[in-house]
Amino acid sequence: MYRYDEFDHDVVQSRVKQFRGQVKRRLEGALTEEQFRPLRLQNGLYLQLHAYMLRVAVPYGTLNSKQLRQLAMISEKYDRGYGHVTTRQNMQFNWPQLPEVPDILQDLADVEMHCFQTSGNCIRNVTSDPYAGATADEIEDPRPTAELLRQWSTMHPEFAFLPRKFKIAVTAAPNDRAVIKAHDIGIEIVKNEKGEVGYHIIVGGGLGRTPIIGVTLNEFLPREELLPYLEAVMRVYNRYGRRDNKYKARIKILVTETGIDAFRQMVDAEYESLEPSDIAVSEAEISRITDYFASPQFEDAPDDSAFEAAKSDEDFANWADNNLSAHKQAGYSIVNISLKPHDRAPGDVTADQMRAVADLADKYSFGEIRTTHQQNMVLPHVKKADLQALYEGLKAAELAADNIGLISDIICCPGMDYCALATARSIPVSQAIAERFSDPKRQRAIGEMSIKISGCINACGHHHVGNIGILGLEKAGVEFYQVKLGGDSSENAAIGQVTGPGFSQEELVDGIERMVDFYLDSRTGAEKFIDTFKRVGIDPFKEVLYGNA
Amino acid sequence: MTANELREGYSVWLTEDLTWSTDYADAALTEDPEIIAKMQSVADRDVEANEVVGAYFIDIDPETKLPARYRERFRVTGPSNDLGEEIEKD
Ligand code: SF4
Repeated sequence: MYRYDEFDHDVVQSRVKQFRGQVKRRLEGALTEEQFRPLRLQNGLYLQLHAYMLRVAVPYGTLNSKQLRQLAMISEKYDRGYGHVTTRQNMQFNWPQLPEVPDILQDLADVEMHCFQTSGNCIRNVTSDPYAGATADEIEDPRPTAELLRQWSTMHPEFAFLPRKFKIAVTAAPNDRAVIKAHDIGIEIVKNEKGEVGYHIIVGGGLGRTPIIGVTLNEFLPREELLPYLEAVMRVYNRYGRRDNKYKARIKILVTETGIDAFRQMVDAEYESLEPSDIAVSEAEISRITDYFASPQFEDAPDDSAFEAAKSDEDFANWADNNLSAHKQAGYSIVNISLKPHDRAPGDVTADQMRAVADLADKYSFGEIRTTHQQNMVLPHVKKADLQALYEGLKAAELAADNIGLISDIICCPGMDYCALATARSIPVSQAIAERFSDPKRQRAIGEMSIKISGCINACGHHHVGNIGILGLEKAGVEFYQVKLGGDSSENAAIGQVTGPGFSQEELVDGIERMVDFYLDSRTGAEKFIDTFKRVGIDPFKEVLYGNA
Repeated sequence: MTANELREGYSVWLTEDLTWSTDYADAALTEDPEIIAKMQSVADRDVEANEVVGAYFIDIDPETKLPARYRERFRVTGPSNDLGEEIEKD
């Protein structure tokens, strides 16, 4: 894992000191709210519906056990004993108090963490594949690239006041687990015919009010050109992105209005005018960063007969069947920890659970933990022989839900329960759906499918790319929910289609159940929900959703 | 008249004795222009004094006496799902 060098240390420490002074001046009245607001937002501190909310950056979703324990401590000392994993792999605390926030930032800095780039119109915290460095299907670990981007973008003076926020995601696997096509810039690490590793640059994706799937800006960018090229893209956006209308300010609108070919020409012209060597980093620096992400010392083909034997326990077998993913090293597994028990808000995790995960990571996963944009956690490197013991540990911490990728593994933003921008609640809807489909056998029979819920048009719950996407709205004081169908967040990214008029929560859950039953009746073989949808089209699903069938 | 406390960030409502309460039940509900003017000046003073932030008036449903706007009703009831409460109970 990346370790801070002296510059990182200095930057983080000086920011804590600076913010302590700013909070002091605010509390003494030397700063007005208007003056203070941008300063607190630069430190991830929002004022939400009921209280402040602090968003802690988890760069590319990678945490070590010490950091997770510190987050647990912070949640107990300053908050209400829990945290919330967001759809951008960060962690939010819902109830911090302003005078204590500088102390929280200090406690974070003590474990090389901070809240930079979690708010404001800057390049936000870079996200990545939660299986990075572990998965069998990647070309290389994408985290050195993500870390390079973190260092480049942190407090980049030119890009601190962009027309709007800017999100970058990086992956190195053909199976896209980072939703790169729904980002302002998506970066896929690829190999060309000569076997050289470079970058496929996708631009102009995004969800929100105007959902757009990103398009290819550059098929293959040589590795050494990454930073100068991105600098050129950012400059074009910074100069031509609209500042007159915040709903039209994201790069996706610029790319759409300009056209990708003309946009590419603008980037190329800007690139020509740059002095790449001023921006590009040396091979030595890249290899310094890469070294931090060296694989742990795996055992050579450890015996996994104990794992096979343990599968005689049905519960364990079901969990193993559903929550494990293939590791690059024989005898190891990637373990997904579901933060979706059906009675909780998706992504919520208590301090005790954070400590339990940290302990289990130390014992079984080289102290490494990942957060996912699906609001779950991952232990990336677990020996198969240890899986049963790990499972027992997760069970004891109430973290052994075996629903990863299933219908109750719902992505859901905080909605009206916490968010000041919301139009409706989302958490109770996700709970009602999870409750309706709580029978594990039924969930497994339905198989892989995604439901995603947002509490307003900003789409933090990624509803546009859910197989079933739900948007909470309000009319005359009554919540209602609009449904989209056929969205896909994978490498086959697609925006769902709106079905029609909205529903009450109850009608919605009934309608979803009818659609699921229809899918089960209509699927052929092992067809997934999304594949049946693609084959039969939206109309029959709409009919059952509206109860007309 | 509602706002958020500067320090804790909690939602507060102005009471009849012109102090701030985190309990909506204490909120002053009025249509009297004189009282409204008085409330405005107290709110302005307390914003200026950095006691509260973002003070504004909300409409009330005359029947239920609850805020008319859905969002404002939510600020009164609090989140429908707060894991913190569950943890406290345990
Ligand atoms: S989608 Fe809307 S309600 Fe949900 S977190 Fe984002 S801004 Fe808030």
